[in-house]
Amino acid sequence: MLKFQINPLRQRQFIGIILGIVLGTILLFTLSSESNEEYLSLGTMNTGHEDFSCNTCHSDAEGNLWQQVQSNIQYGMGLRENSVEFGTIDVETKKCLACHERDNDRHPTHRFLEPKFRKAVEKINTANCNTCHSEHHGKRVTLKKADYCMHCHEDLTVKNDPLDTSHAELIKNEAWVTCLQCHDFHGNHEYKVPHKMKDTIPLSTLKTYFNGGKDPFSSQKKFTALSEKEWIAKYLN
Amino acid sequence: MKKFTYILATLSTTFLISCGGVPEKSKDTKKEKLEFSVAEVLEMVSKENDVTRTLYTKAIVGAGKKQGMKFDEDWQKEDVEAGPLPALFLRGIANDIRKSDVPLGLYLGSDFPINKANKFEGKQGELFKKIKEDRIPQHFYDEDQKVYTAMFADVAGAPACVSCHNKHEQTTKDDWKLGDVMGATTWQYPTDSLSYDATIAVLKAYRNGTKAIYKDYLDEIAAFKSSKKPEIGDKWPSAGGLYLPSPEVFLDSVRELASYETMTVLLK
Repeated sequence: MLKFQINPLRQRQFIGIILGIVLGTILLFTLSSESNEEYLSLGTMNTGHEDFSCNTCHSDAEGNLWQQVQSNIQYGMGLRENSVEFGTIDVETKKCLACHERDNDRHPTHRFLEPKFRKAVEKINTANCNTCHSEHHGKRVTLKKADYCMHCHEDLTVKNDPLDTSHAELIKNEAWVTCLQCHDFHGNHEYKVPHKMKDTIPLSTLKTYFNGGKDPFSSQKKFTALSEKEWIAKYLN
Repeated sequence: MKKFTYILATLSTTFLISCGGVPEKSKDTKKEKLEFSVAEVLEMVSKENDVTRTLYTKAIVGAGKKQGMKFDEDWQKEDVEAGPLPALFLRGIANDIRKSDVPLGLYLGSDFPINKANKFEGKQGELFKKIKEDRIPQHFYDEDQKVYTAMFADVAGAPACVSCHNKHEQTTKDDWKLGDVMGATTWQYPTDSLSYDATIAVLKAYRNGTKAIYKDYLDEIAAFKSSKKPEIGDKWPSAGGLYLPSPEVFLDSVRELASYETMTVLLK
């Protein structure tokens, strides 16, 4: 047994440190195992992403952890120009688009990078998938209110309006939540838009869909997102 | 003992920061010679765009309509058998560029757009007024996004531009004439100057975008159920038949028409 000459209390400190190191090592190895990924997850994966492994979205950052620590210390001391990512790379819109990019997207994210959308983007950042589809919530759409069309379409006019309650009236009444009852934001569904308000999709049904329920627009879609297998085949093989 | 601890800590820190780390990417790119200003590159690619758009509007949409072919906003819907309107052709190119690693943005707008969401506002609105007067490209730095931005006149270069916009059910102006500035393209790029390789990458991204959207159109035609399918190959642009070029033939025609202007910039 080691001798603790300064103060016998140091012995307890020593045991504590050793215990901490041992427990930390066990935890590190246990949690980095693929079979235990669910314990690291921030929450249930969103609809359609249930079977994803962490690495599908969270790619490893360049270098090993030790190199990343070194690089960031160098950066902190002004010895290099750029810092580096630590652990994994941040999941950004481009990553989502690797599977979800579609030529028929009515509102592609890059569209909102045009200067004229600056004010709208300040209110709702539609240039970023995460604004409406925040991951780890076990849903499809995580935005609380579906009235975002107002930020760009408030001066919409429809000539020969086919709807029984005119678009002008809906806008005047600020009934912005009704837009999605006919028009899905990304426009990928094969869906015939009704001409009577009573035939539109009820808001409650839409909410169920946003929370991961059945698709009320149509099961027919022009483009489907890549599965994890297809993504691996396209980008990693 | 204290002195020893300090020396040990200093040596450990020096060791920690001086050995290894992740290599810096920017060091390699800095070696490249920056040959072109962003304004030069955007003007070059916008001229390619003018040629591409005019060729598509005149020789595909205009000529196709005379043969009974259809072009529609909802061209990608299952029950619509049609091709992309020129504005959507451009949107398709812009979409494809964004899929690449080239950070080039491309948008189309107007003061009288068919879809009000495409109406210019703010800085773009002010500059478009100038463009309408003198047709001179306008360049500015977008402080919010930290990107160099350029706007170029989009001129009604084919009868189909005028007739379709004037007759469109949702049009906001029905007296367009051939040669009018109907709108403007807006281009964005994040750096003020580009190397030769980066310039070629911009051009390639644009051309690949053209090829991709044109190929999408041909894929739609292949799925037509009730409409007559044109013959795709090298008979286009012969009159008297329903012909369309293959993507390679279409791009070759663009290259032929744009090469003088493009090469003049590249070989300056």
